[in-house]
Amino acid sequence: MAKIREQPSEALPEGTTWEAELKRVGFVRRLFMARRWYGADWWFVAVSGIAVVGFMVVALFPGLFAPYSPYALVGPSFLAPGAQVDLPILVVPKDSPINKLQDLAVPEGADRPTVAVVQGRPTAGSLNEQSQKIDGEIKNQPGGLRLRPVIDRYAKLEEALQAVVNGTDKAAVVQTTEFNSIQAQFPDLREAAPVAGGTATAGGFFMGTNDIGQDVLSRLLWGTRIALIIGFSSSLVSLILGVPLGLMAGFVGGTFDRLLSLLMDSLYAFPGLILAIAITAVLGPSIFNIIIAISVLYIPTYYRIVRGQTLCVKEEVYVEAAKSIGARSWEILRLYIFPNVIPSVAIIFSVNVADAILTGAGLSFLGLGLPPTIADWGIDVARGQRFIQTAWWMITFPGLAILLIVLTFSMLGEGLAEIINPRLRER
Amino acid sequence: MPADILYSIRNLTVEYNTRAGPVRAVDDVSLDIHRGEILGLVGESGCGKSTLGKALMRLHEGLAGITAGELWFEGRDLMKLPLREMPDIRGAEIGMVFQDPMTSLDPVQRIIDHLTETIHTHEPGISNASARSRAEELVERLGIRRERLKEYPHQLSGGMRQRVMISLALALRAKLVIADEPTTSLDVIVEAKFLDLLRELQKEFGLTILLITHNIGVVAEVADRVAVMYAAKMAEIGTAQEVFGDPKHPYTQGLLKSVPNIELNGGDLYKMGGEPPNLLHLPAGCCFHPRCPFVMDICSQEEPVFEPVTADHLAACWLYRKAGAVTASGKKEARNG
Repeated sequence: MAKIREQPSEALPEGTTWEAELKRVGFVRRLFMARRWYGADWWFVAVSGIAVVGFMVVALFPGLFAPYSPYALVGPSFLAPGAQVDLPILVVPKDSPINKLQDLAVPEGADRPTVAVVQGRPTAGSLNEQSQKIDGEIKNQPGGLRLRPVIDRYAKLEEALQAVVNGTDKAAVVQTTEFNSIQAQFPDLREAAPVAGGTATAGGFFMGTNDIGQDVLSRLLWGTRIALIIGFSSSLVSLILGVPLGLMAGFVGGTFDRLLSLLMDSLYAFPGLILAIAITAVLGPSIFNIIIAISVLYIPTYYRIVRGQTLCVKEEVYVEAAKSIGARSWEILRLYIFPNVIPSVAIIFSVNVADAILTGAGLSFLGLGLPPTIADWGIDVARGQRFIQTAWWMITFPGLAILLIVLTFSMLGEGLAEIINPRLRER
Repeated sequence: MPADILYSIRNLTVEYNTRAGPVRAVDDVSLDIHRGEILGLVGESGCGKSTLGKALMRLHEGLAGITAGELWFEGRDLMKLPLREMPDIRGAEIGMVFQDPMTSLDPVQRIIDHLTETIHTHEPGISNASARSRAEELVERLGIRRERLKEYPHQLSGGMRQRVMISLALALRAKLVIADEPTTSLDVIVEAKFLDLLRELQKEFGLTILLITHNIGVVAEVADRVAVMYAAKMAEIGTAQEVFGDPKHPYTQGLLKSVPNIELNGGDLYKMGGEPPNLLHLPAGCCFHPRCPFVMDICSQEEPVFEPVTADHLAACWLYRKAGAVTASGKKEARNG
């Protein structure tokens, strides 16, 4: 943290202020120059503060921002970011009463409808999958309808569509883009409904889709919630336990202090992730256990800082002065020592949130954190790692999200440290 | 205890437990503080005067402790009170002003909160508004505008903070104020103003002030009586006139001669020979004897008794033992007997 600060006048030409200079330089340069121009990196705090608020809003209302549900299989697998959606659609004759896949259902024992598909396209698979799903839902309902279409395979798209026009097949399941390109040749056909999922729109997927057709962006936005829950709650638990312990150890001293410090130092001696792995391995994967594991990890951080500060503040003359006006131990702790210690705690808290998020993501990545059904960045990175050569977007975006949120909270902590604690700044 | 004595210290001993063994910072000191006086306590750095000041409120903790003595205050022996009752006396009856006003106020509390908290601590029933108005009146009396009460300590000057410290002691009408080097960190102009204020307050509120300082000039200016400490022991006590006009103890004489004086006309200042003694290894007999210009044989053998030289002027020096009254051997016999 050793820095040399120069006066603005040395760095800037005559007549310009650093505000004017700020407008001319880029953001990266500004981040570095702020330190030299006005001593404290308040930009760190401003930028990261806004970002933190942003993350919180997203975490509170992910539904507002996410285009799809994070769990729904809304699109085809491995769709690249921004690529045109090539969903299978159901194509029927213009005058056909069929409007969706369910309409192809017939009573048990009746002739099964035939559906045309093109060979070598994934449409047959989508049709089978969707039909089975719908069939499972309707077969036990009164009426006894079944949806078990017979698939007719054709070599070319034109042949498949011609079969529908001729009446050989009731309908065809083809890819949207392919159909759109030759629709003009078949004026008697119309698009009835998408076959897979049914929610995907033509807008595509901004960050692509994963191996099972979930929207990466939606999972990313919903994952913010888990990241912040883990970060904040585990830091809060560490704070609630670590700060009073540190205050008491510093204030009371003696054997109590020594025993507690020994315990905390031994916790501190473990490499962070390893200890967390050990704890979650014992407790089992759940968000609650992750929070416990991570908070145990960070209690010593609060304890040490608060204890040190308490030892320091305790010797201040104003504490002695407080005693001389008749303040009791509890009042001294509450009114004199605690308020003087708390600014450092605010700083560690922010950095600690960043650390906790990183550790939480690490646990999920290793498969020790959350159940794999949950939308979580660590899980997404782990999943993306398997497909890193075919689908770079699966690992990149959750990875970037982790990077960004950790950077944000670290920046906030460092920035706050610079501004709140000038003694730290001078060091 | 006569009615005019507010605080009577009897044979007080305070020891610090150091690695090299226990050190007596205050050794068998007896001292009466009269009601309504300013008693100046002077001595070199490390002679135990601040330790004595803290001991009056039993503020010592950790390595330091009062090992013997009685502290009679308003008819009670504070040493007999349980330590948990001391906070009721601190602040309410005995106030303290510390040496460095820059560090003796909590940097994260507003000035007003310092004052109202003190009032609330000792008078839990009082309403916020009346505590506040009382605080405001008080600081205005001390010459701080009431708007400044909303500020934090760092926004005030050193002199103002020291006045705030005084007001903390006055907020509860403390009978005794122990001022531990209150002007050491102030410049001379502020110091003079502060001393005037002390005088005024003492008259107005009938305060009793124990003014601990190493600055003889300060004591000469305001004190009614003066006590001189040397190496944890009391060397001399008397009215200011007597002590400054006719110092008895050779140490006091040396101390007064070494004060810079305009009549010196550039001549050399008197320097007392030798060094202050190491409290761990005190010389035998009178602990001032290695530096004393009037040293006699007895001085290195026997500790002098602290006794009256004139009616209320006491000194601990063999020079004033009436000739032939008690010799060294006679003293020994008397002790043995």
